[in-house]
Amino acid sequence: MRKLTLIFIIIAMAITAPLFAAGGKEKAETAKVTIWHSAQGANATVFEEIAQTFNDTIGKDKGIEIEAIYQGKANDVLTSVNAASGTGNLPDIAMMDATAATDMNHSQYLVTVDKLGIDTSDILACGISSYTSENGLLALPFNASALLYYYNKTLYDSLGVNPPKTLDDMVEVMKKTGTKDRAAFAGVPATFELTTLIGAQNGLSYMLNNRNGHDGAATEVLFGKEGTYKTFLEKWKAVYDTGFYSPITSGVTAEFTSGRCAAMLASSSNLASVINSVSGEFEVGVAKVPMVNEKATGGTVISGGALFSFTDSPAVKTVLEYMISPDVQAKWSEATGYVPVSTKAYETEAYKAFLEKNPQYKVAIESLLDSNPGLANVWVPSAYSVYYSFQSNIADVLNGKDIDAAVSDMVAIVEGAIASYSAQNN
Amino acid sequence: MRKRVQRRPFDTFKYILRKVILLLLAVIVAFPLLYMFSSSFFSPKDFNNLRLFTVTPRWSNYAKALGHGYFGSFIFNSIGTSVLAALIRTCVVVLAAFAFTHLRFKGKNLILGALVLTLFVPQEAILYQNYKTVATLGMLNTWAGIIATSLFSAAQMLLLMGSFVSHGMQAYDAARIDGASDIRYIWDVLLPLSGPAVLTVMIQTLITTFNNYLWPLLVTNRPRSRTIQVGITMLGFSESGETGAQMAALVMVTVPFLVIMALAKKRIETALISK
Amino acid sequence: MKNASNLIHRTKPYLFVAPAVLLAALFCWFPALKGFLESFLTVNQAGKVLGFAGLGNYRILFSDKAFLSSLKITGLFIVLFVPANTFLTLLAASLTRRKSRHSSVPEYIFFSPVAISLSAYSLLFKELFRGKSSVINRILGLNSGWITEPAGAMVTVVILGVFLDFGIDYILLMCAFRSTDRNVIEAARMDGAGGWRLFFDMELPLIRETVLVTVFLALKDAILISAPIIILTEGGPFRSTETIMFYYYVEAFKSGNRAVQNSLASLVLSLAACAMAVYNIRRRRQP
Repeated sequence: MRKLTLIFIIIAMAITAPLFAAGGKEKAETAKVTIWHSAQGANATVFEEIAQTFNDTIGKDKGIEIEAIYQGKANDVLTSVNAASGTGNLPDIAMMDATAATDMNHSQYLVTVDKLGIDTSDILACGISSYTSENGLLALPFNASALLYYYNKTLYDSLGVNPPKTLDDMVEVMKKTGTKDRAAFAGVPATFELTTLIGAQNGLSYMLNNRNGHDGAATEVLFGKEGTYKTFLEKWKAVYDTGFYSPITSGVTAEFTSGRCAAMLASSSNLASVINSVSGEFEVGVAKVPMVNEKATGGTVISGGALFSFTDSPAVKTVLEYMISPDVQAKWSEATGYVPVSTKAYETEAYKAFLEKNPQYKVAIESLLDSNPGLANVWVPSAYSVYYSFQSNIADVLNGKDIDAAVSDMVAIVEGAIASYSAQNN
Repeated sequence: MRKRVQRRPFDTFKYILRKVILLLLAVIVAFPLLYMFSSSFFSPKDFNNLRLFTVTPRWSNYAKALGHGYFGSFIFNSIGTSVLAALIRTCVVVLAAFAFTHLRFKGKNLILGALVLTLFVPQEAILYQNYKTVATLGMLNTWAGIIATSLFSAAQMLLLMGSFVSHGMQAYDAARIDGASDIRYIWDVLLPLSGPAVLTVMIQTLITTFNNYLWPLLVTNRPRSRTIQVGITMLGFSESGETGAQMAALVMVTVPFLVIMALAKKRIETALISK
Repeated sequence: MKNASNLIHRTKPYLFVAPAVLLAALFCWFPALKGFLESFLTVNQAGKVLGFAGLGNYRILFSDKAFLSSLKITGLFIVLFVPANTFLTLLAASLTRRKSRHSSVPEYIFFSPVAISLSAYSLLFKELFRGKSSVINRILGLNSGWITEPAGAMVTVVILGVFLDFGIDYILLMCAFRSTDRNVIEAARMDGAGGWRLFFDMELPLIRETVLVTVFLALKDAILISAPIIILTEGGPFRSTETIMFYYYVEAFKSGNRAVQNSLASLVLSLAACAMAVYNIRRRRQP
């Protein structure tokens, strides 16, 4: 009997111990600021270094400690944030991308940048506008990036070809760079790529009304009736018909870095890790994204992560201000390939010297500065699902589905997501 | 076996065929495990070259995996939660099974029926509602939250009830006459008698809780509280090209269970083989 | 005094079953009921009830092409996985059904998948089947894209599924073979039955019950599969491995679509209840 009682007591203690441990550890003197992030691999190391530097300097003086927690990919961070909403388990700050904007715009837990009172006058204008909704500036841009055309420069040079300017060019280039064992291009565009490939058409095109959902929730799908998605699909079918296109949706970077495909579209944020993985086997070239046609002059949409905050406190403000300070931005950019969001970062001598040495990093910056500032990310509900729907829809066309039918399918899917969301959240 | 001398050529052929199929199947089943061991010593180049083994083992993969800031707490949380869940579930199930088989009370069949009803509800279908409950109770990021949904199993309760009934009531009546309490009887008589069944319950719970992926993924969002199954997918080694370290982590997670399995195999078989 | 002890005596059985009832109520009856009721209501992302929806949520669910495709994919998965799993585990169990001097080595190997966790297998398969340039292609001399191609990804998930269930199914079947009465089989052997006939006419029917259990377990796992897909393919490429429960996970936890989440959960619940009922009726009919 006594043995059994003892076991019960031990069990009871063991259950409650972690309960208390979780609640009792907060020390009064230091304010802990938790940041959920999605920086992977080498980027994670740098991000943690940045947090550590803060803890050792400013944090030490002011009694603030950053705890950086990896939550998986950008979309996994949103999943965790949504799940934690209303449970008292939200982080102070979460690093998320445009796919989070719709949910965050409606979240009652979000603390906007305006409310925190952070000075954003040094932040890139396109960065600010990309996270501004009818409720104000939702999040503080932290890592800006632009979609780039990555290519195997060694191969291109040896064949005497230049990176393409349009998708028609790209078809010609692919015919030269593709072989039986090497795809000329790999990867299937999804929402992120399409905001540029559709957005740049006719100078400036939106996929959804209300400036892609930024000026109030989107109520109408535009990429169908304006014909922009159709134009893209027609050109992309030609890309597929070269026979040197590898329509894969995962592991694209691995294919590129191992030399099994000659080109891909990817965010500038991958630049450092791509160069790292190639480790000198060939020279990595980057260029602006090829445009759908000559009339597509809008340029590239700004993308990348922003810091959403859920706590209104001076400590959070201090941390956010640190994150966008020129030095941190320059360091982050050099290590990753992200474009600094602080315009002051461009003026630091260190960063100027860095760009001089690594001209590839300039392409993204120029690409953003040359773009129409009206271009904006798509804010659509069920973003994760819509992302995969675009890829499947494109695959359908490549497999022979009628383009008009595919377009109306895709319009119906996005309209369905919008209708379902507004029915449940108004 | 003595008859083997008399085998006709066709029988010998069938015998060899069977052994070949057996060997092939064994190799296939063992292959991922073997590759895991072998590739835990690979350099990134070995992975690129699709090697199956390397002659220049990279022990640093293990150092790297162990050096990961949270690897220790992942393991600790996993072992802690699965042992705890196994103990508690066994207690809960033993008590209930005892009451249903040995005691008489009003509404017994109704309660039993209601409990058996839980067999019809897959955990996956009530994932979100359970998440909400655990969150409301403030059990996110705690061991209590991780094990909350695996503390009762109607299937195991039925298994134990079957075993308890099979021993008859004489021992219980004798114990009652001796004035022994029910708890005393369970501890001293029933549990030793139903050893294999109780052990099966414990091991089953231990393994399922340890292997759980989706639930711990949902109820933990701090690395310190994560279990190893969630943790190993978030080490970030693969993303930075350190697949070797990833494999080393997998090896360290798997080996203890291979040992437990090898030790427990005989007992599980005894429990399952009825003569 | 006597009254008090009588009270204890009468409440004791309830105390014994209380933990079980409490846990079942909190983490099974209550959430199942709540989900079922909410499937007829309009609930917003934060969980607030906005009004009565009737069958509206089910209409939303069935008008979603992604859901319909997930039904098809789950169906395909069941058709591929359940027979493959049953055949292979039965093959392994029958090859080792008689204890012999060297049988313990294959026994350990066939049982070993029990020790390897779901996420470990998924991560391993992600590397082994990673694409055109993969270890599996090198060994088999193939040029399949595996998880980068729709058909290949489905096959990979099926193989992964077989590995995940292999150990436990094997031990169940192997023990069932060894539990059968040797005398009956020996008697049949004396009568001249042998080899294939003995196996299919005698030994297999004797363990029919266990085979049925493993088939049902496989069916249950096939209908509910989601975690391996989250790690291995994320439903891709092109939603080709998006099963019902993966779709549920995306809608409930990524999109926060309560309409789809609650109606789908209730549907799966009813399906599970039907399956269990059929299984129990079948069992009862058997002597």
